[in-house]
Amino acid sequence: MADVTPTKTIDERGKICPYPDVDTMTTLKKMKKGEILEVLVDYPLSVERIPRSAQKAGHKVLKVQPLDGPNHSILIEVLGLK
Amino acid sequence: MNAVLTGLFVGLLFGFALQRGRFCMNSAFRDIVLVGDYTLLKAVGVAILVEMIGFSLMAMTNIINLNPKPLMWGANIVGGFIFGLGMVLAGGCASGITYRTGEGMVGAMVAVLGFGLGGLMTSTGLLKPISDYLQTTTKVMNSAGKALTLGNIFGVDNKILMLVISILAIIVWVVLAARNKSTEAPEKSPSLGEAIFKHGWGWKATGIVIGLIGMLAFPVSAAAGRNYPLGITNGWINIWQTLISWKNVTDSGVKVVTLNWEGGEIIGIVLGAMIAALIAGEFAIRAPEPKIILQSFLGGLLMGFGATVSTGCNIGHILSGVPQLSIGSILGGISIILGCWTMAYFLFIRPMNA
Repeated sequence: MADVTPTKTIDERGKICPYPDVDTMTTLKKMKKGEILEVLVDYPLSVERIPRSAQKAGHKVLKVQPLDGPNHSILIEVLGLK
Repeated sequence: MNAVLTGLFVGLLFGFALQRGRFCMNSAFRDIVLVGDYTLLKAVGVAILVEMIGFSLMAMTNIINLNPKPLMWGANIVGGFIFGLGMVLAGGCASGITYRTGEGMVGAMVAVLGFGLGGLMTSTGLLKPISDYLQTTTKVMNSAGKALTLGNIFGVDNKILMLVISILAIIVWVVLAARNKSTEAPEKSPSLGEAIFKHGWGWKATGIVIGLIGMLAFPVSAAAGRNYPLGITNGWINIWQTLISWKNVTDSGVKVVTLNWEGGEIIGIVLGAMIAALIAGEFAIRAPEPKIILQSFLGGLLMGFGATVSTGCNIGHILSGVPQLSIGSILGGISIILGCWTMAYFLFIRPMNA
């Protein structure tokens, strides 16, 4: 997959459960179809849960990329089927 | 063997499994209403069922003596509800904030400080009268003076009822799961070593492993003079008490205050989670913004108060008490869930839909 440029990036590193998830879902709701959201997150449970809940809400998870240490970048394409 | 060492050993296993399975009941209960995610709830369910079968078989073979907590309905309801409110503020249940301390999360470290302090204030300090009042005035035992369980309410052997309920629950679960074939994406299968040490565990593995650790904890803890499976609250209180008023010998009526099994278990959980996080590359000292740190501390205080009043946290009641079919633990557990949902509504759901 070619590299995609995120429309928006939110930095959720250091945040406690469930702020990374809640912030992601709130931001996704405000974005338009076709836009790309990048979530930077270091909380292990959220790294696994954010893709699950984004998919459930009808969005497309493009990539979950491990960065240094516990940090991850999650790229989500807004589809907003729901 | 030394009580602290066996507690430490069980704690190490428990902490490792908690971190790998991301096993947190706050997330488990909150995610149902917040994001419609049932993954962790399923892990909790599996752990309870494994323990229910295990405790039942171990009780039948006299390896353990069941020790369900008594019903103190007022204390169970009020304490459980306040604990549930607190855990959403703190960002984790009792076991959640304990294992996340080992992941290097400063928010969790602050929460466990509040948790221990709140528990100590309620078990021996300023707030003790409230706890005593609620516990003594609403305590209900059965006619034989035993703690109420589903077994003695229905007049059947509790051990057998545990086995029957757990087997029925498993059958119903399997049938339901087969009927609505879940659309869960099949997970890639990494090597066994990678699966254990590098990836987060799936809900089935997490539930089974934690259930087995709970089974191991019961006889090991009983051998140390504490006849109960896993617990968290009294462990943190014990660590505080030991640090503040350590007494090696009994003198002039002052009781010996020293680290016990549950205190050792807590130290083990933190270390076990730290080891797991380090191996998986998930360890990092990280802190949320100041407002959230304060919120975590206040949440911890509420949890400490609530768990002490209710005589159990999510582990003492839900993981260890519900499998023994204790009415007090079932009521305490339901109250914890209701408290969790209430706070999750005001803190997350309402703002999210605004």
